[in-house]
Amino acid sequence: MKVHVDMSICLLHGQCVIAAPEVFSFDDAGGLVWVTEIDDSQVADAEAASDACPEQAIILG
Amino acid sequence: MMQDADTADTLPFLDVANPAFSIRSQAVLDARDASWCARTPYGLAVLRYDDVQKLLRHPKLRQGSYRWPAHNGVTGVFARWWEAMLLSQEGDTHARLRRMANPAFSPKLIGSLIPKFQALANQLIDKFADKGECDFIADFTEPYATGVICDLLGLPFERWRELADIAAEMGLALGVTFKQDLPTIEAATKRIFAFAEDLVETRRAAPTEDFIGMLIKANEDKAQLSDQELLDMIVLAIFGGIDTTRNQIGLAMATFIENPEQWKLLGEQPELARAAVEEVMRVRPTVTWVTREAVEDFTYNDTPIAKGTTVHLFSQSATSDPKIFPNPGFDITAERKPHFGFGGGTHHCLGHFIARGDMTEALKLLAQRLKNPRFNGEVEWLPDSGNTGAIKMPIAFDAA
Repeated sequence: MKVHVDMSICLLHGQCVIAAPEVFSFDDAGGLVWVTEIDDSQVADAEAASDACPEQAIILG
Repeated sequence: MMQDADTADTLPFLDVANPAFSIRSQAVLDARDASWCARTPYGLAVLRYDDVQKLLRHPKLRQGSYRWPAHNGVTGVFARWWEAMLLSQEGDTHARLRRMANPAFSPKLIGSLIPKFQALANQLIDKFADKGECDFIADFTEPYATGVICDLLGLPFERWRELADIAAEMGLALGVTFKQDLPTIEAATKRIFAFAEDLVETRRAAPTEDFIGMLIKANEDKAQLSDQELLDMIVLAIFGGIDTTRNQIGLAMATFIENPEQWKLLGEQPELARAAVEEVMRVRPTVTWVTREAVEDFTYNDTPIAKGTTVHLFSQSATSDPKIFPNPGFDITAERKPHFGFGGGTHHCLGHFIARGDMTEALKLLAQRLKNPRFNGEVEWLPDSGNTGAIKMPIAFDAA
């Protein structure tokens, strides 16, 4: 599954980092980084992250 | 401790602890023109959009209101709950609790509640529409906000009065008379926990697929969600959801009464209701500041901020900042940068999908059924800082 974040609406709340820490994280400068291609074991967490995002900026597909 | 007398002396001062202080006063606008922040009796007030946005999720700041009972010299069942619940936690414990709670507040679950919100709003409006007047708080926002929580918890609407009274009495804890009101607050807290325990017992016997059902399922693994944490979370949903929504819908009505052409527009174009919620929360948020606390000494904008300093992020001041909002007037059709009415960062409001959903449906139906609303007597307000709103709002209108 592919993971995309619409950075034009992301506000860096970090709810995705809480929901799916293996997929999303903050770099040292505070920017969001994520795994763009995830395997089946990470899908449930990524979906939880997508649901939890207050700005609904995460697109899975 | 870091001290920098020169810097501190040049910052404006705002006496936010004075109950007469207004977050919307000229003093705040002047301070915002003069500086990115002001000194207050509590610590610092951050006034401009860019700084509020950055400091909401600054790594040297943690959520700041966990100390509120301690600041007031208060212990007991309320203080125990307040210090243990999700909002007061940080780090791994916060992440574990938030992971548990988020799915129960997901937009997917909320979608199924929308028809219930509509039915509830219509049912309440039906009771007073023919009269052409009502107390908008007692007759609409309070039963509506509480009814939404009843829907979330899977309780019959008839229980709303009981929950509203408990929430209001517990809510005294957030006021300046916390210590004086402590006996009432403690009694209400005991009632709400008895209520939550009863609810859990009932649903363990007859499982449901809703919010409570999800939490009870998580609680099967006690390391994931302990029995105490389960109850603390239910109490948070009740306490956190009622007063905030009640106040915000009241503030919406007041704002529209002052902007009648916008109400007319919303009545004609109900699809603007979602944007109207955002615009109301930009100009009149019930949560007028978000509290943070410095976890270590650090410097921001050349200002030294000592460990333990309370930092209030002024939401309404930030989202009327002329640098970001050159035309800050109330306009539900304008494209706006995001407001801070739900806070932000790791502690971003858990219930915001519900709040956005229920307020959208309420405004949509109200604007179609209540034409030309106007004040019809004196409005009674909470202090215009902290968590604000009207407690009584007599209005008159022309029924559609």
